[in-house]
Amino acid sequence: MEGDDDGKLRELLKEWQAPGAPKSLDERMLRLRQPWWRVLLTGSIRIPVPVGVALAVAFLTMAGAVWREGRAPEPVASSISLVEFRPVNDLHVRVIRNQ
Amino acid sequence: MTSAEFRQAYESHKDSLFRFAWRMTGSTDAAEDLVHDCFLLVWRKKAAYDGSRGPLRSFLFGVLRNLALKRIGQERSFDELADDSAIAGPIDLVSRERGEIVAQAVGALPPLQREALILAEYEEMSLEEIGRLTGADLAAVKSRLHRARENLRRMLAPILDAKGTAYGRR
Repeated sequence: MEGDDDGKLRELLKEWQAPGAPKSLDERMLRLRQPWWRVLLTGSIRIPVPVGVALAVAFLTMAGAVWREGRAPEPVASSISLVEFRPVNDLHVRVIRNQ
Repeated sequence: MTSAEFRQAYESHKDSLFRFAWRMTGSTDAAEDLVHDCFLLVWRKKAAYDGSRGPLRSFLFGVLRNLALKRIGQERSFDELADDSAIAGPIDLVSRERGEIVAQAVGALPPLQREALILAEYEEMSLEEIGRLTGADLAAVKSRLHRARENLRRMLAPILDAKGTAYGRR
């Protein structure tokens, strides 16, 4: 009876067919065996969405900072030093008239 | 393992590994990721395979089942994964194709029962081979398989017990 039940169950289980490996798996495996320089040229990587968003935000923030820095006016000297200023001690005034 | 041997291993086992992963996870994308990761791991750790400890097929299935259980474990609680004596809940048998019903019933089995059943029934592995690749002793494999079949008989009883037709075929 048990064996008969097993046979029925086994036959029913066989009605669940599984597909073979898809072509996309072959393509991924082919990339795996490529030389490193070809991977650099043609490879792709999968990034989790949160990581991608974080990278995009960081990039935009940095780009914004660089852009703002480029547009900023030249800084003006805030104070004038008089350290090397020497006042004239011996002043001779000479008036030149029209000749 | 040389590049040529790796290629041959991939070509020889990709379909059976994919079928196993697909039946374990119920998802084409997940199965593809798992088989890819399995071969990636094998390629990176070529030295880990010791031909004297068993056939390559068992080794590959062993790597894949660890990855599959890890993935399933991330989706379920540890207790649920570890409890291979659990009884699967009821499934919907109304207005579905028989293949779909079987898929749902097998998918409802606890993971350790499910893998034992898939390896035995669909990949036609011996109990010894299942024990070797799952790291379980023979008694544990037999017990898991027995419980899996009991669970399936109960879940699929309306189809199996249908009278007047062969195995409930309409």
